[in-house]
Amino acid sequence: MHELGLISEVLAIVEEESKGAPVKRIVLEVGPLACVLEDALRFAFELAREGTVAEAAELEIVRGDGATGDDELRVRALELV
Amino acid sequence: MCGTCGCENTEKLIPLERRVLGKNDELAAKNRAWLEERAILAVNVLSSPGSGKTTLLERTIRDLGATVPITVIEGDQATENDARRIRAAGARAVQINTGTGCHLDASMVARALEELRPESGSIVFIENVGNLVCPALFDLGERVRAVVSSVTEGEDKPVKYPHMFRAAGVLVLNKTDLTVATGFDESAFRESLRAVNPEAHVLPLSARTGEGLGAWYDWLRLASR
Repeated sequence: MHELGLISEVLAIVEEESKGAPVKRIVLEVGPLACVLEDALRFAFELAREGTVAEAAELEIVRGDGATGDDELRVRALELV
Repeated sequence: MCGTCGCENTEKLIPLERRVLGKNDELAAKNRAWLEERAILAVNVLSSPGSGKTTLLERTIRDLGATVPITVIEGDQATENDARRIRAAGARAVQINTGTGCHLDASMVARALEELRPESGSIVFIENVGNLVCPALFDLGERVRAVVSSVTEGEDKPVKYPHMFRAAGVLVLNKTDLTVATGFDESAFRESLRAVNPEAHVLPLSARTGEGLGAWYDWLRLASR
C-alpha cells in the first residue's frame, strides 16, 4: 500500500538528480527488512512514472545485504539516456 | 566496469546512494529536536485497528490529565471520531485524515504540532493509523514507540509483523480482562515478542477495567524525564 508513496519519493529524487534529462535506468536498493514488496514497487512505478523523466526508464531492484541497515531503501544510481 | 552494478557503461551512470525516506527522516529529526527542546515526551502509538489505542488514551487522559498536560495527534484514514473522543476525555486533539494513505509521516506530524502547540514538559500522543505494516517504516520524531497489542489478536503477531514489533520501546498488552474468554497464552506471546525484540517492556493491562494501568503510568512518568 505504501509502495506508491515510496515510488513518488524515488521519482522526486530522480527528477532532482537528473536535472530534467531523460533517464534510462534507476538502480534501487531494497534492504532485507525494508518492508516493501518488489511486485508492488514495480506496479507503483508503472503507474507513477508517466509524464516524468523516468517515463521510459527501467527499474532495477537490487537486494541489499543489510550492510547499510536492514531496512534500507536507497536510490543507488541513475543512468541517463 | 563501474563499482555500483558491474555494468560496462560508466559515462552516464550517476552514483547517488540517496535514501528514499531521507526527506521524511530529516523532517522527523526536526520534529524530534523541536520536541526535545521543550522537554515534551512524544509517544508514537501503533497497533492494528481495534486493539484499544483510543480507549487507552482516553483513560490515560482522565487519570493523568490533571497532573501532566496531554495533547493528542490522531491519525485515521477518515472521520473525526477519535479526536472527538479524545476531546470528550478532556485533552486537546488534532485529527489528521490520511485519505488513501496507510500511515502518518513526519510532515503531517510537523503540521499537526504547529496547530497543537503543546506546552513544555507535556506529553504528546501520536495515535498512528491502525496498521501493523506501513507505519513501522516512518519515523515521526517521537521519543519512543508504544505498540499496543490485545489478547484478542492472538499470540503470534510479533513474529508475523516483525518490523512493527522490532521498533517497540514498550509493548502494551491490552484487554487482559478477556484473557480467559479468548484462551490467550501470555507466555507464548512473550516468547514471540522476544524472538523479534528482546528489549521491549511488556505492560499487560485492561484499559476498560483499569487493571494494570498503574505500571503504564509509571512507565510514562519515567519516560517523561
